[in-house]
Amino acid sequence: MALTGRAGLLALAGALVVGLLLPHWTGVLVVSGVVLAGVLADLLLAGSVRRLGFSRSGATAVRLGEEAEVTLRVRNPGRRAVRGTLRDAWPPSASARTGRQPIDVPQGQARQIVTVLRPTRRGDRRASRVTVRATGPLGLAARQGSHEVPWTVRALPPFHSRRHLPGRLDRLRELDGRSAALVRGQGTEFDSLREYVAGDDVRSIDWRATARAADVMVRTWRPERDRHVVLVLDTGRTAAGRVGDGTRLDAAMDAALLLAALASRAGDRVDLLAYDRQVRASVQGAPAGSLLPALVEAMAPLEPALVESDARGMVGEVLRRTRRRSLVVLVTGLDPAPIEQGLLPVLPSLTARHRLLLAAVADPVVAEMARGRGDAEAVYGAAAAERTLAERRHVTALLGRHGAEVVDAVPEELSPALADRYLALKAAGRL
Amino acid sequence: MSAPVSPDTRRAWRAARTPVAIVLLVVLAGVVLALVRGGDDRALDPRSYGPGGAHALARLLDGQGVGVEPVFRADEAAAAGGTLLVTRPDLVRPERLAALARQAASVVLVEPSEETLRAVAPALDATGPLNERVRQPGCALPAAVEAGSVVLGGTGYDGGQSCYGGGLARDGDVTVLGGAGPLSNAALADEGNAALAMRLLGEHERLVWYIPSAGDPGLRAGEESLYGLLPSGWVFGAVQAGIAIVLLALWRARRLGPVVTEPLPVVVRAAETVEGRARLYRRAGAADHAAEALRRAARERLLPLLGLPPDAEPQAAATAIGHRAGRHPAQVGALLYGPPPTGDSALVELADALDALENEAGQ
Repeated sequence: MALTGRAGLLALAGALVVGLLLPHWTGVLVVSGVVLAGVLADLLLAGSVRRLGFSRSGATAVRLGEEAEVTLRVRNPGRRAVRGTLRDAWPPSASARTGRQPIDVPQGQARQIVTVLRPTRRGDRRASRVTVRATGPLGLAARQGSHEVPWTVRALPPFHSRRHLPGRLDRLRELDGRSAALVRGQGTEFDSLREYVAGDDVRSIDWRATARAADVMVRTWRPERDRHVVLVLDTGRTAAGRVGDGTRLDAAMDAALLLAALASRAGDRVDLLAYDRQVRASVQGAPAGSLLPALVEAMAPLEPALVESDARGMVGEVLRRTRRRSLVVLVTGLDPAPIEQGLLPVLPSLTARHRLLLAAVADPVVAEMARGRGDAEAVYGAAAAERTLAERRHVTALLGRHGAEVVDAVPEELSPALADRYLALKAAGRL
Repeated sequence: MSAPVSPDTRRAWRAARTPVAIVLLVVLAGVVLALVRGGDDRALDPRSYGPGGAHALARLLDGQGVGVEPVFRADEAAAAGGTLLVTRPDLVRPERLAALARQAASVVLVEPSEETLRAVAPALDATGPLNERVRQPGCALPAAVEAGSVVLGGTGYDGGQSCYGGGLARDGDVTVLGGAGPLSNAALADEGNAALAMRLLGEHERLVWYIPSAGDPGLRAGEESLYGLLPSGWVFGAVQAGIAIVLLALWRARRLGPVVTEPLPVVVRAAETVEGRARLYRRAGAADHAAEALRRAARERLLPLLGLPPDAEPQAAATAIGHRAGRHPAQVGALLYGPPPTGDSALVELADALDALENEAGQ
């Protein structure tokens, strides 16, 4: 049960009655009795909250930063109308805009209530309880009760780097046979034979085929297809650092999504693995059409774990999953200790069978600090930043000597830089 | 699809019965204690065991066959043929007090003001404050002479028969005591306090112990005014208003469903380690380490411009860079490979000098 402000005001008005008309204990008893009788009558006559039936429908997934609508249907099978307030409670980061609404459900009828969510964090947002306060006819007291109505809205990674995709797809088409048909070189494979037309490069004439056919035949080439790309996200402690507005993991996901979109359009197969000390998420063998939805679905609930990543286990998992020669894109940090002690010892087993591309999220604050001049504090900051940058260069060189390529960029530039490196590898036929 | 999760009546009662039992126990204990202790703790109350009370004196007088009658209202304080003790005479209207004093065989007033004295004992005057200390009788009053020295203080009086340096004065049947000390539980055993109190109050068979209290019609108009101005029912109105406030508090206190919690991920600024290292450098005054980091960074930017390897000979590097920047090789060598700077200001200068060199060489 719950009292309303009206009950308190009635009792307060009763204070005047007691003070001026009935200045005795009987007066207090009479007024309190009236209030109590009103409250009891309201509790008896209010609609039953316990018997209400609830069901939900609506959005189950929303891209971060966009709005989702979840509809709550309230059915009242009871004998009295339920009038009052309804609260559809969601966790704070779901940012439910219409959490608390007036309702009026006549007996035997149903009403729909729309809750608008705008999640502020990636991941699953589970609905908490639905609480209804049904006020009695006098408005002095209300019945209150809660119902558990489960529903989950998954906030997906935003994929901000989508805007870079059209430009990269143009570059991909340039690589593709349709744009440069007869250029043979690294990174291309034999496509087909066709008749010679004026303007074709005479060097691409296939004389053996010409001898068999009536016409002069030329060979056409196309870029390599059906290569294998394995995206590995390191969700260990280095991914938890906040860079700019989001964590390193957010930037890593964005870069991985752009690369996956590009690679699947280029005809390559893309797999995803998220790992710290165990497999956190995995996408394997998804068809090109449903690859991106599968990836964002798998990435949505990922959170960085505050543990040191197990590089040996991660490499072992990659080797176990991929038999074919693949491009392994490992998005991790470039801190000296985890790389030198964790990754380097197991790197040869990986680079022996696959091509490794390591992507790291740089912090623009460090570059900013390195430019600090003027007073002692800024110069000490610059020295510390230069030291950090030197360590990163050292680690990059070390990885290069072990046959791994490194892309080190600030969050906004990581996605296009990684996509460009992929295109360069593809153009060079080194996938 | 949905399931009600609010507790039903039986579960609510099960959850509430322990707190309810505790509240009942506390209330019950309070009532029992109040009944057992009885009375209240007013100053010079013959039923009070507190330090300011006077139960000890009342018992002593009782043992000597004096009938002690505690009264709280002026109309019950008639003491024909007995002693009248007024613990706070200033609260009572002077004319009312004078009338009571005329009925009694003898009167003891505790620390009355000048205004009260004019009505009851015009021969006496209040002189001012009196320190509390051991005082000798210094007069011929039999009670004082027999009691000997007492601990007394409060207000001094003169006129009539004055004893103890003004702490006790008598005009006819009216005795004025400068302070409540000799009568209280706390000080009764000091010096001759008990003897003086017994002789003053045990003069007659009957002692009317008058404690002016709230609600006494004999009180002064000034004391009554606060109550007199309010409507007669204000106490009950206030009780009802209290009930209303409790109801309003219950209204505001009831939440519409529980607070929803959610675990938040731990997020640390990635640059924090770099900032921490900068503060460590600064606190340790490690200008040499900082300078080496800056010089190394400058070398690593400059040498590739000239096509030299990062680990080039200092001499050769300085010559090449000096040539490119239009500077003397020795100067460049001192800047890039020289001794570490001493102190923060030298470090700041070094950083600026490195920037200038990089600019010149980069053009």
